[in-house]
Amino acid sequence: MSFQLNEIQELIQQNTRDFAKEYIEPIAGQTDKENSFPQKVVEQLAGNDYFGLFLPEEFGGSEAGYLSFVLAVEEMAKVSAGVAAILINQSALAGYALNKWGTPDQKKSYLSSLITGEKLGAFALAEPGAAPGAGPNKLTAVKDGGDYILNGRKSYVANGGQADFYLVFGVTDEEDPSRRMSSFIIETQTPGFSVTRTIGKMGQRACPWAELSFENVRVTAGQLLGNEGEGSIIAQEAKAVANVAEGALVIGVAQAGMEEAANYAKQRIQFGQPIANFPAIRNMLAEMSTNIHLARLAVYDAANMIEQGKNIFTEAAMIKLFVSRIGQNSLIDAVQVHGGYGFSEDMVVSRYYRDVKGSLLIDGSADLPESFIAADLLD
Amino acid sequence: MGIDISLTPEQQKIQQAAREFTAKYVIPNAGKYDRAGEFPEFLGPEAVKAGIYPPAVPKEYGGPGLDLLSQAIIAEEIGYGCGSFANILCGNMMSAKLVLLAGTEEQKKLYTKPLVEGGYAGFALTEPGSGSDAGSISTQARPDGDEYVLNGSKCFASFCGYATNIVVFASTSPGKGVKGLSAFIVEMEREGMTVASVEHKLGIRSSNSVELVLKNVRVPKDHLIGSEGEGFKYAMKALDTGRAAVGYVAVGVAQRALDEAVKYCKEYIDVNGQPLSAHQSIAFRLADMAIQVEAARQLARRVVRLQESGAPYTTESCMAKTFATDTAMRVCAESVTLLGPYGYSQDGVVEKLMRDIKIFQIFEGSNQIQRLVISRNLLAR
Repeated sequence: MSFQLNEIQELIQQNTRDFAKEYIEPIAGQTDKENSFPQKVVEQLAGNDYFGLFLPEEFGGSEAGYLSFVLAVEEMAKVSAGVAAILINQSALAGYALNKWGTPDQKKSYLSSLITGEKLGAFALAEPGAAPGAGPNKLTAVKDGGDYILNGRKSYVANGGQADFYLVFGVTDEEDPSRRMSSFIIETQTPGFSVTRTIGKMGQRACPWAELSFENVRVTAGQLLGNEGEGSIIAQEAKAVANVAEGALVIGVAQAGMEEAANYAKQRIQFGQPIANFPAIRNMLAEMSTNIHLARLAVYDAANMIEQGKNIFTEAAMIKLFVSRIGQNSLIDAVQVHGGYGFSEDMVVSRYYRDVKGSLLIDGSADLPESFIAADLLD
Repeated sequence: MGIDISLTPEQQKIQQAAREFTAKYVIPNAGKYDRAGEFPEFLGPEAVKAGIYPPAVPKEYGGPGLDLLSQAIIAEEIGYGCGSFANILCGNMMSAKLVLLAGTEEQKKLYTKPLVEGGYAGFALTEPGSGSDAGSISTQARPDGDEYVLNGSKCFASFCGYATNIVVFASTSPGKGVKGLSAFIVEMEREGMTVASVEHKLGIRSSNSVELVLKNVRVPKDHLIGSEGEGFKYAMKALDTGRAAVGYVAVGVAQRALDEAVKYCKEYIDVNGQPLSAHQSIAFRLADMAIQVEAARQLARRVVRLQESGAPYTTESCMAKTFATDTAMRVCAESVTLLGPYGYSQDGVVEKLMRDIKIFQIFEGSNQIQRLVISRNLLAR
């Protein structure tokens, strides 16, 4: 591909490839099987400056740009989507939001320790849905003097249960829809906060999901991130930025799945020849390769736009719409090329099949990518 | 969905019985057995009591004696509850069909007896080096006096860890490819039959599939089904119905994925106080899923009508299997998409549907092999 990466970006890509091979690959299968958190890998991510890759030097980051970050995510996802997801939640969600909306004090205590890996962050937006009347964002944050008191639940929180602090979104103004929500930094030792349970999931098991409970959690106004009523804006922008990284994750998994399928097709002999000789197989691989290439260009382009400070809401939505399908379909076909063997837990492609579907998830009607894209075009 | 009133009263009764069985025994247990990767041995005896098992066995051998459409309906109803359980109860008919098709009276009795008592039968065709290409099977059966001696190994052998009898394919004329293949009934308790390992799978995890080793396994000559060298021919005939059954189960799985999506989209209330389903973009996605599921169901039932009329139906059964399983794959993935984080989590069932359904595009002849057969028949006209 001719998308021109600069020297630093190429170096980060290559180094991450080596890093993933040396540190992540040996534990990738095991952490999936055991649903265990890869604590050691998280320390190595911090030690190798991944958490601060695109974040400011002032707080310990490398300022290598968002495209470099996206390249790192892609390389890690080729080996473990779960580890890549931990990185995205730490840096692209919690890190990005703290950097953009945090006060100098908040940055000093949270952003710095997030970059050194001393603290793990998480983004708590979604709430337990799928129950009549239980729509998102019911968690309330009521002003009490100079404090806020939080009550409610959050669910499907990635890095949940392992995080040291959470960016929690709660309703501060029931009346004004656009200024309904505010964002708070909640440390896990705050009284009234608890992790109710971890949530089992199809894949990306290195990155835990948890449900959180807030019972009269009292925080000072110093824990408010951004201004009161700015929660929706923070959530929307941070999620759009993270979407671009999730696009890279999906591409990484799809690329790895395709490579597994190609290697298998070259080795698997049926009817006296490698199945890679049959157009039926070649065409599936050609389709995967085409889709992955085009999806990758979209992701790199959006990452570039983020570096230039441009608005990427539409591009992020396009990634959510297109790349998620590409990822899913690539893995459906990659397993197909493997035949019955692709269905075996011993084959890494079966893990990729489970992993690929866990990113770029749509959560609620407000999150429909088509709506964003059409609104940009028509409204 | 209600009971299909276009069915005969007898068929409606079967649909009702299968639905009740699914609600009582399948849905409440499917998740548990999936997570543990355990075979639900209790299933067969309960299904016998419900009058729906073994679906393909006629009354004269102690079975429920059902017509073809009733069998298809059972597969779909149980598939609605769990693709894996349906595979166990209906997929295991593949070998029974082969015996009923080509076996002697004695063989039919021998083979169906454990089934009508609620037991299981196995099917061992695939080998590590031979999947789509059955001609490269290396398991051999050598005549020795009034016996055959079988040697070789099989993989993805279905239900063999729990089967009484299995149908094994072995070459009696090495070098002759599929024309040298013969089918045998082999009792699992015979000396030399070993389950070497159990497969751990992405989906249909409760459905037992094993690596089977046959070492100097001796069977009497009357355990050969039909004639030597005819094994593949019988297998293909049994597959004509067997692969349609895969389609019926897939339709059931897809219907479940659709129903789960409909339920979720009606119950999930968004920020504006509206259910997800109030959004046209969501509602139309549901409509698309429904169109595909119904089309798959009708294409699958067309196979039954052709079979009953005595017309050839190989091409149509290939079409039905391919369309139903490709559709079910798409619909299950779409259901996970619509259910968002909940769908991806193990709090709900749709992630399991997406894991279970993948193998349906692969087994009983991969969908690439189906297209090969369809295109050959199409071009030979």
